[in-house]
Amino acid sequence: MSFKSAVITFPGSNCDRDALCYLQDLTKGVVYNIWHEEASLPKVDLVILPGGFSFGDYLRSGAMASKSKIINDVIKHANDDRYLLGICNGFQILTEIGLLEGALIQNKNLKFLGKNCFIKKKFKNNFNLSIKEDQVLQIPVAHNEGNFYCDNETLKSLKNNEQIAFEYCKGEFSNSEENINGSIEAIAGITNKKKNILGMMPHPERAYSDFHPSQDGKLIIESLIT
Amino acid sequence: MNEDLILQHGLTLDEFKIIKNYLDRDLTMEELGIFSAMWNEHCCYKTSKKWLKKLPTKNEIVIQGPGENAGIIDIQDNDGIAFKIESHNHPSYIEPFNGSATGVGGILRDIFTMGARPIATLDSIRFGLIESEKTKYLLNGVVHGIGHYGNCIGIPNIGGECEFESTYGFNNLVNAMAVGHVQKDKIFYSKPKSIGGLIVYIGSKTGKDGIHGASMASDVFSEDDEDDKRPSVQVGDPFMEKLLMEGCLELMSLGLIESMQDMGAAGITSSSVEMASKGNVGVLINLDKVPLRQPLSAYEILLSESQERMLAVIDEKNNLKVKEILQKWQIDYEVIGEITNNKRVVFESNNKKVVDLPVDIIVDDAPEYDREFYMPRKRKGKDFDFSNIKLEEIINTLLSNLNYLHKSWVFNQYDSTVMGDTVKEPGQSSGIVKIHGTQKVIGATTDCNPLYIRINPYEGMKYTVAESYRNLIACNINPLAITNNLNFASPLDPNIMGELVLSIDGLKTAAERFNTPIVSGNVSLYNQTNEIPIKPTPVIGMVGSNQDLKKINSNKFCNIGNKILILGKQLEKNLSPYLLQDQNLASNINEYNDLVELDLDYEKKVADCVLKMSDLKYIMSCNDISRGGVFLSLLKMQYKDMGFKVNMPDPIDLFCEYSAGYVIEIMNEDLNNVSSFLSENGVGYLEIGEIIKENIEINSKKFDYFDIINNYHNNFEKIIN
Repeated sequence: MSFKSAVITFPGSNCDRDALCYLQDLTKGVVYNIWHEEASLPKVDLVILPGGFSFGDYLRSGAMASKSKIINDVIKHANDDRYLLGICNGFQILTEIGLLEGALIQNKNLKFLGKNCFIKKKFKNNFNLSIKEDQVLQIPVAHNEGNFYCDNETLKSLKNNEQIAFEYCKGEFSNSEENINGSIEAIAGITNKKKNILGMMPHPERAYSDFHPSQDGKLIIESLIT
Repeated sequence: MNEDLILQHGLTLDEFKIIKNYLDRDLTMEELGIFSAMWNEHCCYKTSKKWLKKLPTKNEIVIQGPGENAGIIDIQDNDGIAFKIESHNHPSYIEPFNGSATGVGGILRDIFTMGARPIATLDSIRFGLIESEKTKYLLNGVVHGIGHYGNCIGIPNIGGECEFESTYGFNNLVNAMAVGHVQKDKIFYSKPKSIGGLIVYIGSKTGKDGIHGASMASDVFSEDDEDDKRPSVQVGDPFMEKLLMEGCLELMSLGLIESMQDMGAAGITSSSVEMASKGNVGVLINLDKVPLRQPLSAYEILLSESQERMLAVIDEKNNLKVKEILQKWQIDYEVIGEITNNKRVVFESNNKKVVDLPVDIIVDDAPEYDREFYMPRKRKGKDFDFSNIKLEEIINTLLSNLNYLHKSWVFNQYDSTVMGDTVKEPGQSSGIVKIHGTQKVIGATTDCNPLYIRINPYEGMKYTVAESYRNLIACNINPLAITNNLNFASPLDPNIMGELVLSIDGLKTAAERFNTPIVSGNVSLYNQTNEIPIKPTPVIGMVGSNQDLKKINSNKFCNIGNKILILGKQLEKNLSPYLLQDQNLASNINEYNDLVELDLDYEKKVADCVLKMSDLKYIMSCNDISRGGVFLSLLKMQYKDMGFKVNMPDPIDLFCEYSAGYVIEIMNEDLNNVSSFLSENGVGYLEIGEIIKENIEINSKKFDYFDIINNYHNNFEKIIN
């Protein structure tokens, strides 16, 4: 059975091509590119909401995209227990839709942050099965609003339900901070309770080719396919 | 027409007389506005044209040289590379965030106007001394603006330079460069093809922003001008530009457009006049059709520099299809005129011709000046006293000087990895991106040595070109072509004019020797405020390629135990300008010795050896040597837990500048091969030491490894905060 996937493009998405290449190269299956105004999604195993500045980040990052026409079908896709991955702006859109809890606020130093970061897995889910406990992944981040925030009650339930997928950590020989953007408990990515939806700030689609400084981003697709 | 009005429009009375004699009638206000926009330095290069003509602009790989929106070179197969650098100096001083953001927006439009998809940006920025609160404000705003625009539209920033020096205190420089990839058979030019073609307006609505921006950019500043001039700074919207870029590239890929011109400096005036001039045709435009953000007069529409707008010519039969595609991208679109055969530029408003001028007088009769210039004075030799300079002190001064420190505070605010093709991120010898879907890579760098050029404009410019050249060579990138951004103070001062003339001559000499023609560029004059002229700052952007991604050199140490070699000729202590300046030995520009003549043949010979040794895989890592000498070069190469142990008869030499200077790392077993290869080619080398673990040792003296590394990486942020 070949793995089918789709990437949604909103006006202002700028990692849609990167996500398409990432899926094409790693899944070897059919990959659809869906324009936000289309009414329906083809039946696929995985949908990616890519990074970028959908609708120019006007109002709030992800807020306008969360009201796009295609979103109804994206919600249906997720309700069918199929995989949904939001990367960076895609993560912000998922929290705006309400498919994931919490919110992404401005980085603690109030500046855009574009650099390699280090993350490790916190709780096991289908997106990180191929990643070992305590394995440190090197993956780039590029965001202005990546500082994950939620209230104490939500945090407690995220932990109780093992919804924290990734947390920022320190890399070997790196003198950068452990928690790069000030996220609560250094959270870099969370899932929904059913764990078929993942939102993460780092960009795995920029860390998979031989010429990238790291190929750790492969592990997410590998986890889903095997 | 009254004299004040003419002078306010930046025209001299003599210039006005030429126009009046030619037309034999009075001008309308709108026509005066057009001449003001088209005859200023920014648009017609009236001071520099005579000298720019001498530059080499052609060779076998140049597809498009200067004169179009961007230059284009051939990198084999069907791949072309479009690139250009442009300044946004004055706007960035008045309003740093919007001024620098729109600088990036403008240069990106120059690239995609030609059908090229932008694949990288670089920036060259210069500020005054950081002790001033104003500098901190400008630095924060400029970096934020460059980052905001590029990050949002999603083009990786892969490098640049950031310098602090007192003469830029009231006149900072912001030069933005963009590189794009185009299929050679799908290049679009600004020249319209057919009479009767529709002139269409694509993009943001026109507003009051940036009116007279181009003539402002050609003015001398005084400090209290700032608030008055703020309304002439454009405001950018990168989201709109992203839509415009995708919309235009889609139209071009479908062949729905004949020609295109971006509305940059001097807005609709300059874009339509250039179209008419290049096509040897006329244009008839109805200003009532221009999409407006607010009610504007015809005069204001003509001179508005609102951002994210394009002018295109299409065949009438494609009108509906074009409209439909642009609707999908939610972009304003309007047919506003047509291409005519009468070689006149005609603008109508309210059923009245407000402008009716022959194209010739605007473009061909634009003034060209041969301004007086002085040659620099001969310098007397001087010996400087180095006896009190201790090694520790030099290192400490270096690590507390912003110009030497690691600039991650700057480039971490830029997205360097979007598009997924970045091979080398900023902070290395040059930035490198892969051509999507191929194994080819493009390397790019920006450089300038203003101190060298002030000492000796001709030789200093050769050194600047050579430094860019070395940056690419160190990565095993074959240098191909140049874009330049000539930033100078007022050319009305014959000393400054001399710097302009001689540095262009130096650029010519070096570019000819390296076979790297100049394919695009920009001139920014009158960079002086309150009588303080900036140092001459002709910035070079150099682009090169390698057909095979796997052949690229690392600029970082690879393995402990490997040997460290130096190639090139060291400049003596007395003759290393930056060492003298930064160790506070020379305080006045008159004190410096003249620059050592740069031997371009030797520079080329060493470079060829580095390329060859890279292909032979002798080179494990390589870096060029520039300001800060061998020591700073080694510090830049430091990686993971690796350090270095070196020996020099006089350790101060480690901080001297070089010609043809490279640090290379090779494996022990290759030493003999490398040695005989270099001697066969007549290139000397110096084996100075080896890579060791977690230590820095100079002439057996140990330094605190972690202190040096941490200071190098973190002091920039500490100092600016």
